[in-house]
Amino acid sequence: MAGDAVSARSPRRGSVVGWFAPVVPEARVAVLRSVLYAFVLLDVHLIIRSPIPLSRHPELYRPLDLAVLLHLPPPSLPLTWTLYVVLVLGCLAGLAGRAPRLVGWVVAAAFTWWVGIAFSYGKVDHDHLALVVALWVLPSVGAVPGGRWSRRASAQGGWALRCVQIGVVSTYFLSAVVKTRNAAWDPTTWPESYILLWAVVRRPHGLGQLLIPHPVVLQVMQWFSMAAEVSSVVVLWLRGWALLHAALFWLGFHVFTAAMLYIHFAPTVVCWLAFAPLERLAPWWRARHPLLVPPVPVPPRAALGRQPAGR
Amino acid sequence: MSAPDTAAETDGVDVRPISRWGLAWRVLAAVALVGLLLNGSVRMHDDAWPFGPMSQYAFFPGPDDTVVITRVYGVLADGQRVELPLRVDTAGIRRADVEGRIPAIEQDPSLLRAVSEGWSARHPGEPRPVEVSLVQDRQHLHRGRVVATDQVELARWRVTP
Repeated sequence: MAGDAVSARSPRRGSVVGWFAPVVPEARVAVLRSVLYAFVLLDVHLIIRSPIPLSRHPELYRPLDLAVLLHLPPPSLPLTWTLYVVLVLGCLAGLAGRAPRLVGWVVAAAFTWWVGIAFSYGKVDHDHLALVVALWVLPSVGAVPGGRWSRRASAQGGWALRCVQIGVVSTYFLSAVVKTRNAAWDPTTWPESYILLWAVVRRPHGLGQLLIPHPVVLQVMQWFSMAAEVSSVVVLWLRGWALLHAALFWLGFHVFTAAMLYIHFAPTVVCWLAFAPLERLAPWWRARHPLLVPPVPVPPRAALGRQPAGR
Repeated sequence: MSAPDTAAETDGVDVRPISRWGLAWRVLAAVALVGLLLNGSVRMHDDAWPFGPMSQYAFFPGPDDTVVITRVYGVLADGQRVELPLRVDTAGIRRADVEGRIPAIEQDPSLLRAVSEGWSARHPGEPRPVEVSLVQDRQHLHRGRVVATDQVELARWRVTP
């Protein structure tokens, strides 16, 4: 924002504003943007790939509230193909770091529309929230000079990352809220139900089928996941090793549900990177893979002089 | 994955300035995001996506419930019955989407055209089904154990060109 420099100030650490907009290295934003644009390219080919085939069947379409509110036209083949092309070109431009605000918001709008179309034919999934939030907030940081090598820090970057973190944590915490709400606010109904048994009977491929004869074990797992979802909010205040362990716990949770039920939640998992010190990635990589070409040509005599002794 | 303390992070780096307004709208936007998400999970329904409830698996089957798996079968001209697997790469539509439209399909079985056309378009070498049916495999639970299985047909449609 051009106006941001008018009265320069940084939010105080420990203040509410400082929590919503901590000063963090912008290299984090640069790396996360690249990872997410690459992920969206995978997503449109591997995860949300129904918009084009479904747009042939207007008789099954029922618009989401968002489409009604914005008067979006019903999906058609020209529309979904256009969105697909915009997403592919936009992600490539995003990976190249071109016009980060313009390109970023075009990708955000196109991806939100794309996913919204996929969810307008019968089933809404809940694994894309953090990714959609990320695509909308990360462009607000604007250009990051130096990209992943940037030495600059900002509250602008910290705010964008905090919003992504809120999206990740909401996916878990609000899931516990809905399970309780649907049970007339009785928090014990869901953990004591037979929901996991129902899920593994329906998806008899993964490890879950081994647990079909043990419904009590499945209920213990339900209590455990409810407790984890309720306490997930704490992650927003963790730092250092505690944060690392919480992140590893949740990644483990997703590996487990993938093995058990074939449910991956990859779009949420990738957004866990918003908690990671990604600015260390480029220096770490360079330290292990030094440039092979010397910056100054080595004179032949000097090179000879470096031969090991004894030759 | 460990995030260092903010002061350490910013030592020796250039900190980009931000205006009072720049901070204000960001805090307001983040509070609005939290408010919309909470409202979605407390009051709204799935159609409010992305500000709807996180309702994945948020229901409560009982110990004597019936678990259903929805399938679509096609009958070929020679009478052979083949399953048309409900995935985007095999039928152009996901099982979850078909399940979300079961009442509509029961009312108007011609909606199964989406599955039969989607399947035929992806299997050009195979004969087209002359009839398709929507069925459910049912697994009946008793005290948390599967005690019986059967299959019911919910809708049937004679394929028209």
